[in-house]
Amino acid sequence: MIIRIKDVSMKFNLGIEKDFSIKQAFINLFSRKKKDKHKDDFWALKDVNFEVKRGEVIGLIGSNGAGKSTLLKVVSGVMKPTTGKVEVNGVISPMIELGAGFDGNLTAKENIYLNGSILGYSKKFLDEKFNEIVDFSELRDFLDVPVKNFSSGMTAKLAFSIATIVNPEILIVDEILSVGDLKFQEKSKRKMMEMIKGGTTVLYVSHSMQSIEDLCTKVIWLEHGKVIKMGDTKKICKEYYDSQMGK
Amino acid sequence: MSKAKNILFNFKRYWFLMTQLISRDFKVKYKRSVLGVLWSLLNPILMMAVMAVVFSQMFKFKVEGINYLVYLMTGLIMWNYFAQASNMAMSSVVENFTLINKVYIPKYIFPIAKCLFIGIDFCLTLIPWLGIIALSYVGLGEYTCHFNINYIVLPYIFICMFLFTCGIGLLISCLSVFLRDVFHIYGIALTLWNYLTPIFYSIEILPKKLQFLMQFNPMYQFIDSARLIVLYNKMPSLATLGIIGAIAVVTLLIGSFVFKKKQDMFIYYV
Repeated sequence: MIIRIKDVSMKFNLGIEKDFSIKQAFINLFSRKKKDKHKDDFWALKDVNFEVKRGEVIGLIGSNGAGKSTLLKVVSGVMKPTTGKVEVNGVISPMIELGAGFDGNLTAKENIYLNGSILGYSKKFLDEKFNEIVDFSELRDFLDVPVKNFSSGMTAKLAFSIATIVNPEILIVDEILSVGDLKFQEKSKRKMMEMIKGGTTVLYVSHSMQSIEDLCTKVIWLEHGKVIKMGDTKKICKEYYDSQMGK
Repeated sequence: MSKAKNILFNFKRYWFLMTQLISRDFKVKYKRSVLGVLWSLLNPILMMAVMAVVFSQMFKFKVEGINYLVYLMTGLIMWNYFAQASNMAMSSVVENFTLINKVYIPKYIFPIAKCLFIGIDFCLTLIPWLGIIALSYVGLGEYTCHFNINYIVLPYIFICMFLFTCGIGLLISCLSVFLRDVFHIYGIALTLWNYLTPIFYSIEILPKKLQFLMQFNPMYQFIDSARLIVLYNKMPSLATLGIIGAIAVVTLLIGSFVFKKKQDMFIYYV
């Protein structure tokens, strides 16, 4: 087992988002109504259980706000689950949001090193792979341009190239294969296929049923933080599609 | 033992990230400026010149028996390090929320990187500072300062100040995540602390009660020890050096402890 998710629940307190202020505190002091402390609790994940074997490609589907991204964050260690246990036995390369580590003021070249270091690569590794990254991104002519002047497609291309330069044991992908122009989309898809063939375990979130069916060996259907169904890709994709279309 | 090993391993693993964050700060700071990194040197020189004119010429401040210019500058560069570094460390976690929210990175890296970044600036200010001391030989200021063997203790004092600043930085960067008011409060607190620390005046002019309280002002302890060496050619007592070290380590431990305890909660307060 490379990933083991056991009874994982994730609670958010929506009350935190409400503005706490002196005025509000003053009003609360005199209001008679006892506040229900659990009213603001929101369970983004509730008792999620599953295991992933080495080399499996897991697709996560579900409507917006179903908890897919939260689940990825829990697996990658960005968030600690409120209850339950997450076991991960391998190096993770998270591609939750491409280019999150870019600094717009720095050039593409500088950002390759910055973003690479954020993803945990060593300097030696980046020196060796620098040309490979640049070639894959097709941005050699723009190496000395600050990234803030890049189009969103160019930024995404660069970020994808940096993130996929390693052969991670676990790859976490949140809706990114739709970046760049047509040519780059094909290229990135091929790259993904290559990694999967190489034995990389993938957690893949997408709303495109086509790409889920193309890539995944198993699908988990999430709704309101709970696992509705999991198993065979074709079958569950069809059921999900039917339920979404109101059949 | 294994825990210590683990911390060391983590530090090594993320050291490259640390250097990248620091070099990013440098690049962004000097982007599109003609003189570039030279400003790190020029800035303290000009600042020193202004302060020297304001305090020794306009306000006619002096401290009996010693070179006032060196007295002022020693306090000033040390205080400025602390004020700038802790201030930048404070906002570093909140500023990097987009990153913290996306990728797993040990969060303590951000405040520590800021303390190191300003630390490099501090090392550069030491050059003009030593320059002023050297110039006192040829008559800058009324009294001459002498380079002496006790200077070997200065790095120890500066490192203690650095650790102390890291501790404070960790503490307030953590606090500011939960309570953004800290941004405003700390600015005021720093100003108050600044004036309560004998930087441009002598501790002698304070009332006796406040003089006693200065014993509990860590920044004064650091600055005073450095001045003892530079202005009086004396070695601080072992007790003082011990106290300084203890202040640094304890502050760092408290800061790390609070930060470690609370860091998993950060994500909810984005």
